[in-house]
Amino acid sequence: MAAVAQTTPLSRILWPALAWTIALIFFFPIFWLVFTSFKTDADAVKPEHLFFFTPTLENYANMTENYDYWRFAINSVITATFATAFALAVGVPAAYAMAFDPSRHTKDILVWMLSTKMLPAAAVLYPMTFLTKNILGLFDTHFLIIAVLCLINLPIVIWMLFTYFKEIPKDIIEAGKMDGVSTWGEIKDILIPLAWGGIASTALLTFIFCWNEAYWTVRLTTIDAATLSKLIEGNRAPEGLFFGRLSAVSTAAVGPIVVLGWFCQKQLVQGLTFGAVK
Amino acid sequence: MANRTLPRLLQAPAVIMLLLWMLVPLGMTLFFSFIRYVLNSLRRPEWTTPSIENWRGLGNYKYVLDAKDFWFAIQNSVFIVVSILIFTVVFGLLIAVLVNRSFPGRGIVRVLLISPFFVMPAVNAVLWINMILDPVLGLNGLAVAGINDLVVGLREFPVIGQFFSMWPELKPISFRASQTSAYAVIMMVTWQWTPFAVLIFMTSLQSEDESQKEAAMLDGASAWSQFINLTIPHLARPIAIVVMIQSIFHLSLYAEIEIVSRGNGNKNLPYLIGEFTSNNIGAASATGIFAVILANIIAIFLLRMVGKSLMD
Repeated sequence: MAAVAQTTPLSRILWPALAWTIALIFFFPIFWLVFTSFKTDADAVKPEHLFFFTPTLENYANMTENYDYWRFAINSVITATFATAFALAVGVPAAYAMAFDPSRHTKDILVWMLSTKMLPAAAVLYPMTFLTKNILGLFDTHFLIIAVLCLINLPIVIWMLFTYFKEIPKDIIEAGKMDGVSTWGEIKDILIPLAWGGIASTALLTFIFCWNEAYWTVRLTTIDAATLSKLIEGNRAPEGLFFGRLSAVSTAAVGPIVVLGWFCQKQLVQGLTFGAVK
Repeated sequence: MANRTLPRLLQAPAVIMLLLWMLVPLGMTLFFSFIRYVLNSLRRPEWTTPSIENWRGLGNYKYVLDAKDFWFAIQNSVFIVVSILIFTVVFGLLIAVLVNRSFPGRGIVRVLLISPFFVMPAVNAVLWINMILDPVLGLNGLAVAGINDLVVGLREFPVIGQFFSMWPELKPISFRASQTSAYAVIMMVTWQWTPFAVLIFMTSLQSEDESQKEAAMLDGASAWSQFINLTIPHLARPIAIVVMIQSIFHLSLYAEIEIVSRGNGNKNLPYLIGEFTSNNIGAASATGIFAVILANIIAIFLLRMVGKSLMD
């Protein structure tokens, strides 16, 4: 590509330099968050300590005391893990049936599933509050958050798995059937080993979406099942008082997920566009 | 023809769960939108229980349509969504074309570029509104103060001092006012979602027909005309998809507005629904139905595109 462009030495330097500059600008806010997290609250707002200061780990050491970080982090881990596991447990058999035994309705069912993902959450805010508080008594429980996270991600899970499963030659599954392997055996011994990569990246992406969810986790919890989104939302505007400690707890909330995200950039395209971009 | 029972059975849990999840709350919203239903009322305590007795017909819809807040929220939702769309698509295209050539460190550039997308919305908002945009203590305030100090220092010099003494003192923009906080939301969401556009456009650029480009180059087509005549048409479909997916996500923006605005008047539809929900459930539900209709208009086009590519 661009054989002409690459012969001029100027453009050989210029374009990469521009690309690097833009990348660094985009990464800068994250860098600044991490950078600020090593300043004391006092240093964080002093112009003379903008770039030069004595780094400290006290914000991280005091995270439990200041924000009860681990309580929220553990809730995030529990809800995201179980929601991902349940979504896969329901999604794998469904996607298996759709990919290897499609009926003429399969396409419609898939499109309908995606359509549930497109309903604005706010439209059902009060019914969800009412149902969970007054009728089911599940408000602010781990079970509720797990169920909701599982449901809002189920369409994406099924869709991603469906596209991965379709890549597997049907003959392999058919051969299993001929040999009299049970359906459960087919899924466990043939499908899962073959589609392991696809299942793993689906799980990873679902976990990230669950971790970052910021509507239901904020509106349907108070304290018991509150996740990191709720923690940060609750400490949203310190008016400059606690920049250091707030940066530390924010870094701890997003750090692991950003790193996980690096490993599934490719799957992200598929997961978010429902395979419409190849 | 194979036995149909088993595949149906395997799909049943997913279908039933999603059906309940969709129908039950939405049905309730629909019902509440037709009755008088408030959480607190000393004058009319009978309105505090949802019941068919309190039927109001289209009254809630009329109330919402007459509310100034509703039209402002629609306008503001559209303003925020369209601004974000323009910025993310334009930046996304330029960056994708830029990064789609090979150069040293391309892998690292990709990783740096994609990172904002994985930051949770709550942290995104807290980080931008405090550490970056705060008019006194954030980088915004510090940068403006730094420029002012510099100008004051330069005034001490002969000759050029004369020039700089005519410069005004700059004032940092506060992003906590009602209009500017919408700009802050646009900024932070653009930062978060440009990587998404870049990623999709890059995926699509990799499937671009190179032989066509080479032919164009031999014909002496400039890089710009190649971009306009070959690359943009090739990207038409991904652009449409980026626009639709983002519209659906950003029409439901919530955490960012909640964190940045804190009731300063900057609101969108989900935020307005949240406000109504503190007392007037009838109005909240009618607004919710409007939000569903708005999202559906976009979703229908998107689903059609997705549906087409589904089985091939």
